[in-house]
Amino acid sequence: MLRNIKPANARSKRALDARLPKEIEDPRTTIFVRGTHTGELLNGVMRDLMALKRPHAIAFSKKNDIHPFDAASTSTASLEFWAAKNDASMFVLGQTTKKRPHGLTFVRMFDNRVLDMLEVGVQSWVSMADLKTPKSTPGHKPLMHFASDLFDTNPRFAQLKSMLLALFNGEVIDSICLAGLEYVISVSLGPSVPAPPTMYPNLVTEDLSALPTIHLRTYTTRLLASGTRTPRVELTPMGPSLDMKLRRHTPADPELLKQAMRAPKLKKTDVEKGLGKKRKNIEVDEMGDLRGRVHVGKQNLDKLQTRKMKGLKGGDGDVEEQEGEDQEGEQEGEQEEQDGPKKKRRREST
Amino acid sequence: MDVSGIIASNASKYQSITVEKETPLDVDAALLVVTDLNPIDDESYSADLEAHLQALARDGAQALIAALFALPTQRSDDGPLAQLPPPTTALPRAKPLPKPKPPTKWEQFAAAKGIQHKVRDKREWDEEKQDWVNRWGRDGKNRRVQEEWITEVPLNAAVDHDPRKIARDERKARVAKNEKQHLGNVARAAGTPRDARKQDIERTLATSRISTASMGKFDKKLDGEKKVRGVKRKFEPAERALADEKDASLALLARMGSDAKKTRREPAREEDVLNVRKAVRFASKGRGGVAMGRAAAGRGGARGRGGARGRGKR
Repeated sequence: MLRNIKPANARSKRALDARLPKEIEDPRTTIFVRGTHTGELLNGVMRDLMALKRPHAIAFSKKNDIHPFDAASTSTASLEFWAAKNDASMFVLGQTTKKRPHGLTFVRMFDNRVLDMLEVGVQSWVSMADLKTPKSTPGHKPLMHFASDLFDTNPRFAQLKSMLLALFNGEVIDSICLAGLEYVISVSLGPSVPAPPTMYPNLVTEDLSALPTIHLRTYTTRLLASGTRTPRVELTPMGPSLDMKLRRHTPADPELLKQAMRAPKLKKTDVEKGLGKKRKNIEVDEMGDLRGRVHVGKQNLDKLQTRKMKGLKGGDGDVEEQEGEDQEGEQEGEQEEQDGPKKKRRREST
Repeated sequence: MDVSGIIASNASKYQSITVEKETPLDVDAALLVVTDLNPIDDESYSADLEAHLQALARDGAQALIAALFALPTQRSDDGPLAQLPPPTTALPRAKPLPKPKPPTKWEQFAAAKGIQHKVRDKREWDEEKQDWVNRWGRDGKNRRVQEEWITEVPLNAAVDHDPRKIARDERKARVAKNEKQHLGNVARAAGTPRDARKQDIERTLATSRISTASMGKFDKKLDGEKKVRGVKRKFEPAERALADEKDASLALLARMGSDAKKTRREPAREEDVLNVRKAVRFASKGRGGVAMGRAAAGRGGARGRGGARGRGKR
């Protein structure tokens, strides 16, 4: 663990305060770490991912003996140390071995502890420089696109989606400049093959080769006039383009995840604006007027007070039928029918 | 005038900005994310991968940009700013939520008394200079007396009366007091277990006082030393509520069952092939271990007595 630093001057105090937990967090600073062997492909992949992630990216250009999935190694301690030292909360590790060539590991941290990890194997790669097309401005936020039903149904791909979101687009912002929507990161999967039905579904071990390939593509957007307020979007490949396969993973520890998912309390002003709770029965119509719908309780016609007449006081059903007006007669008759059992009940209780 | 051509061209434009899918696309505008949960089409995927991926991405981007352009906007120098709604996708945080700062002693007092927080300006109007001056710090007003070039001295003042020094000392004392209070607040916020430490010391002292041969009876007493009090026995009232009694009994039973407070632990039972109980029954021919022991003792010496008694009992 790092020692507790006591700030000696105001500047270092400000720097330390900037590292304290905040209610609305900064984007995750990501450290790109090379393993013992990386190779040209992984170096290029990490360079391009870093170009997308800038300025919240730190490169570790030297080799590091790091094996995050090996429980016996001290890799987790190293990751935690680096995270604390650099105020980084995400890692991208590259490592190529004979058994697992071109492995890219994403590690997400919470409170300077490892939250979850995910390894993918890069199968093919086209770099940003290979495509002679316009590039986006560094530091702009990407649009993210995920296409497959597996991102909802398969926990492995749900983790991948969450991880990539945290990597590229994690921070919460309250407004975005519409002219600055320059590029899209699209993550799409191959067609999902339904698993063959087996007699013992619990005993089936996860077959990684059956999981579809992940296609990560980046495109720059061109917004064309469409005659309406919404522009028409055309895409141009920008690079990098990656084809990947899922490999090992570590899911988040439930206790740690529960802590990490804790959301800040909504501010009073936000609640007054209608955040945090559903605004029911309020809508804005086409003219921009606020329209509300009010629920009035069910009308009970039996209790309806009709015209009072002297002759009806304390009378029996027979008296009513002698009354003149038809409407009144019907109403009163109903009331009498209602009153009948009531009286009986009263008698029983006494 | 024939407008059908214009209408048709307009319609084609409209079509290109609307995305029709079996499952509608799930847009989270706050994180600029669109998720297309439709299954991937096998044919177009295998026919031309890049074109398929780009078409998918275009549809997604179109839906997302349509959602973003539909949001209320605010003007800025760089173009319209879309006001984003709160996110619907939950992502884990990078750091825990900030803990609320514990209130200082003054804040506690102010809250109890209902004193409103008032921001005091750092600068103050000086009537003499006809200017705004700092309350403290550079050319601060709090050093006015000590920087006065002439001061009034009371008649009965001592010889070494120095009004500047008095004013300065007062100011320094105020600063020192404030610093002390600040440190106290910091220590309280850090949760220093002061009471725990005090208790620990008192317990150690009490133990050491009765640790002499005479259990402290002939020790020298110090001034103001408290008498060590033993533990007073307390008894529950004879009549109590039924629920209380039940709870106490159950708690006692639970304590008896658990190993939490056992001082002497039983050695772990070894998993043995030999079933001792069965073996004894077999060896004693069903008469039990006591009888077997008696028989063995009888063989050693007092055989007749043991045998006679056994017979007598029958």
